[in-house]
Amino acid sequence: MTPAFADVLLRVEGLHKTYGSAPVLRGIDLTVQRGEVVVMVGPSGSGKSSFLRCLNRLEEPSAGHIYIDGIDIAAPGVKLPLIRRNIGMVFQHFNLFPHMTALGNVAEGPRTVLRMSRAEAEKRALDLLGKVGLSDKIHARPALLSGGQQQRVAIARALAMQPEIMLFDEVTSALDPELVAGVLGVMRKLAEEGMTMIVVTHEMEFARQVGDRIDMLEHGAIVEEGKPNDILRSPRHASTQRFLSSLLKERAT
Amino acid sequence: MTYQWDWSALWDNLPLLLDGISTTVVATAASMAASLILGLPVALLRLSRPAVSWLATVYIELFRNLPLLVLVFWVFTALPLIIGYTFSPLASGIIALSLNLTAFIAEIYRAGITSIAPGQSHAALALGMTRVQLYKRIILPQAVVRVLPALGSMWVSLFKDTSILAVIGVAELMYQGRMVATDTYRPLEIFTGVAIIYYLLAYPQALGVNWLYHRLQVQE
Repeated sequence: MTPAFADVLLRVEGLHKTYGSAPVLRGIDLTVQRGEVVVMVGPSGSGKSSFLRCLNRLEEPSAGHIYIDGIDIAAPGVKLPLIRRNIGMVFQHFNLFPHMTALGNVAEGPRTVLRMSRAEAEKRALDLLGKVGLSDKIHARPALLSGGQQQRVAIARALAMQPEIMLFDEVTSALDPELVAGVLGVMRKLAEEGMTMIVVTHEMEFARQVGDRIDMLEHGAIVEEGKPNDILRSPRHASTQRFLSSLLKERAT
Repeated sequence: MTYQWDWSALWDNLPLLLDGISTTVVATAASMAASLILGLPVALLRLSRPAVSWLATVYIELFRNLPLLVLVFWVFTALPLIIGYTFSPLASGIIALSLNLTAFIAEIYRAGITSIAPGQSHAALALGMTRVQLYKRIILPQAVVRVLPALGSMWVSLFKDTSILAVIGVAELMYQGRMVATDTYRPLEIFTGVAIIYYLLAYPQALGVNWLYHRLQVQE
C-alpha cells in the first residue's frame, strides 16, 4: 500500500450474518485505510449488500466486530444514531424523500440530526448540490428528476452529514445506461478528494480506474482480494474467473 | 283511504329540527377529533414489538366488531356503574363513537404508515435519525396525506352514525325528529324531512371527499 494510507479507519473482524438458519455472511475480515476505495464484487446473493448494511447496522450482524476509529460499533449498547451519522450510505433505488425538494432532501440530515439552523443547513445543501451538478434542480421534487439526478441528490444527501466513510450499494444498477456515467463521475471526484469508500458495483471499468482494491465475495466470504489491475487481468480464484467472464458475456449481448 | 300528507307539521317545526343539527355537528366533530388523536398511538402500538402490539390488536378487533348501538347503550348504562361517574348523554355518545372510530382510524393510520416504502426508513436511519425523528419528519407527513381521503370517508359515516345517539336521549337531529313526530302525530312528514336534511348535509361532504381523492391522486 502507498504511504498515503497511513491509518486504519474501518476494521471488520469475523463478521457473520444468518437469516434463520441460512448463513449470508460467513466470517468476513476487512481492513480499510483512511482514503481508500474498496470495490466489492461478486454474484448476486453473495452477501455484498448484507455486508454493507451490517456496517451501519441497518442489518444486525450475528457475530463479529466492526471497528470504526477503533470503536466497536457492533457491540451491544452502541448509540446507533450517533455512529450512523458518520457513515454515509447510498442505495440502489435512491430512496429519496418524495415529499421534499432536492434541497430539502440534502438539508434534512443537517437540520434534523445535526440540529443546524435552516439557513446553515440549506447553505451546505446548496454547496453539495452544486458539487453533484444539480444547482438548477434544487427546488425539484424527486419525481421530476431522472434516476441519475435522483442518485446524485442521494449522494449529496449522504455527504451533507460529512461522514468519514461512504458506502455505495449498487448505486448505478437501477439506472438507464446513459445516466450511469454522471453518477460514477461524482463518485470518482469524491475518491480523488480522499473520501474513504466501499463500493459494491458491477462497473469493472470504474473498479479498475478508481478502486484501490477489489474484494471478491462468494457465498458470504471474501475469496479473493487484490489490486484491481491484477484481479481483472489475472484472477486466481476460479469463482472470480467465472464471475468476470459472466460479466463480459452480459456486456457482449 | 289514502294518506293525507300535511307538510305544515314539518315547516312549523323546522327550527326545532335545525336545532338538532348543531348537536349532530358537535358529536361528529368531538368524536372525530378524539379518534384522530387516539388512533395514532393505537396504530403505533399495533406496529411495535409483538410483546406489546397484541394490546392494540385486542382493542381494534373488540371495538370494530361490537355493534355501535350496543356500544352506545353499554357506555351510557353500564360504564357509569363500573367507574362510578355518570356522563351526560352527549358525553356518553361521544365516548362510545370515539371508542369505535379510534379502532377504524388506527387501522387507516397503520395502512398509511406501512404504505411508505421501507427504503425511505433505511435512508433516514442511515442519516442518523432516531425512530421518533423518522416518524415525525419522513413517515407521518406522507402517511397523513395518503390517508386523508379515507379519513374523510370516516367523517361522513360518523356524521350519519351520530343519529344512533337518539336512543340515549342526545338532542341531535334524529332525536329532535322523534320528539316532533310524537308531538305532531306526523311521523311520515317529519322523518322524510329529517332524511332530506341528513342527505343535504352529508352529500356535499361526500363530494368533498371525492374531490380530495382526485386531488391527492394527481399529486402522487
